[in-house]
Amino acid sequence: MIKADLRDTFGEFLVKLGKKNYNVVVLDSDLSYSTRTNKFAKKFPSRFFNMGIAEQNTLGTALGFAISGKIPIVSGFSIFTTGRAWEFIRFACHDNLNVKIITTHSGFVGGDGSTHNALEDLSLMSSLPNLIILIPTDNIELIKMLEFTFDTKNPFYIRLPRGYFPKIHDEDYEFLIGQPDILKDGDDICLIGTGYGTLLALESTPDIEKELKISIKIINLSSVKPINNKTLIKEIKKTSGVVTIEEHNIYCGFGSILARIISENYPMPMKFIGINESFGQSGNREKLLNFYGLNKNKITEQIRNLLLSRKR
Amino acid sequence: MTLSVAEEKRILLDILEIKKDVLKMIFQAQSGHPGGSLSCANIIYLLYNNIMKINREDPQWNKRDIFILSKGHAAPALYAVLSKLGFIKREKLFTLRQFGSDLQGHPVKNPKLGIEISTGSLGMGLSIGVGCALAAKLDNNDRMIYVLLGDGELNEGSIWEAVMAGNHYKLDNLIAIIDRNGIQNDGSTEEIMALEPLAEKWKAFGWEVIETDGSNLREIIQGFERCKNILGRPKVIISYLIKGAEVSFMQHTQKYHGRAPNEEEFTLALKELENIEKNIKRGIIYND
Repeated sequence: MIKADLRDTFGEFLVKLGKKNYNVVVLDSDLSYSTRTNKFAKKFPSRFFNMGIAEQNTLGTALGFAISGKIPIVSGFSIFTTGRAWEFIRFACHDNLNVKIITTHSGFVGGDGSTHNALEDLSLMSSLPNLIILIPTDNIELIKMLEFTFDTKNPFYIRLPRGYFPKIHDEDYEFLIGQPDILKDGDDICLIGTGYGTLLALESTPDIEKELKISIKIINLSSVKPINNKTLIKEIKKTSGVVTIEEHNIYCGFGSILARIISENYPMPMKFIGINESFGQSGNREKLLNFYGLNKNKITEQIRNLLLSRKR
Repeated sequence: MTLSVAEEKRILLDILEIKKDVLKMIFQAQSGHPGGSLSCANIIYLLYNNIMKINREDPQWNKRDIFILSKGHAAPALYAVLSKLGFIKREKLFTLRQFGSDLQGHPVKNPKLGIEISTGSLGMGLSIGVGCALAAKLDNNDRMIYVLLGDGELNEGSIWEAVMAGNHYKLDNLIAIIDRNGIQNDGSTEEIMALEPLAEKWKAFGWEVIETDGSNLREIIQGFERCKNILGRPKVIISYLIKGAEVSFMQHTQKYHGRAPNEEEFTLALKELENIEKNIKRGIIYND
């Protein structure tokens, strides 16, 4: 299976973009090697600004660039950028400025541990009006997403993970903002994932289908905000329950957003897979995901619960 | 640039007009920040009237100098100045803080009215100025960026991040002005979170520091003129101003930082400003 580090895809995209669009400027807070903005920095030193370990000023400077007609891209680790500089991001959204916040190290970061994990960033970002929030599943989707991002004058938050991810889309994949991306059809239960959640759903489904003798539908929802409610409901309607999967805290995260949409428009039983009331810890990524419940057994268990509640 | 006596008189009268509007707006809204609006109204007016490159026909002219009111609670002063320039219709001023009005309690971005960006949460404006200054350098646009800071908001850490960046990038097109009136919401700046030695702090961060008597028009203008000739580093003007300036009972007190005058106070304040106006018209100028 071909695997790619999405950070590399991001870094290379920036270089291509920089060649085409002279208004693009990149800002980083002393993490340019980890975020891969160093590639842009090397190619376009006059349009790269290392703002030091000062996320608030990095974002504030981006606001100034944006009102001056530039297209600032702010990168850094997800938790620091969204956490430390939240109010500056709020102002970018408040004034609907063309600021692109594209961070890496979302979810579990590995050895750096609980202080560096970003398991709360979606909660912080999803209450901001005007902000478009995207989470790619593979490098093909990321490229399409980035093309959309730079064709659209709007504040964006794109959350990239750290590590290698398999390619699940074909080259001709079309990214459509707000639309569910149907990866597999099925009649009984619908798994809706975002980012790594989608990968886990894909990986686990064949075994679960065999074990529980059911047919599972898989939806990749890389557009966390906005979401096209109508198409989403249309897609899940024929199944009898939904399980959401996210590499994020389940409180005020991806699953919570879907719970609101579904309960309001087409109430049906739901279960949520994600990190529950924890900051995580240090460790190998696979181990962490497994320990905090992002694994096949947990999905199976939640589907069983859903099937039981349906019988009741 | 030297001011003739006639020009000085006209400017002083304009500033009094602006201050009267500020008081009327806040009185009508029955909420707002008179103290910090009156303190810096003269600076904002002088910037727009004498210092900044602007186009009175077009607030969005692309060569314009940029003004950022980091101390967003002085919005009434900004609005009144923009109205004097013709960017905001005068009658609109008196919709301040009302439902549906463009003129919220703190400035909201509105390029057509000359409001460059939203401000009001303190400590953000200088970073925004850094971005504007870097962008202007990239574009070879010789515009200047002026950021008006309150002294109280220098408590915010983000200000000092921006101060570092201004020096790091040698932003000589960035001019910060500190409204050094010495009083913040809860009391004197030195009592709440000591700022002194303030000039030394900015100097140590690599900024050219100019200190001016903010009640003296000539000195303010000279300060800005000096800034234009200093190259290779950012500049800060620490302007010693008076909270509630020119209304005797609003001066040097935190009482009117965030409180509107009642009817009696409003009438008294207007009367005081009108008396000063009369004296200026008679040729008595308090300056110097």
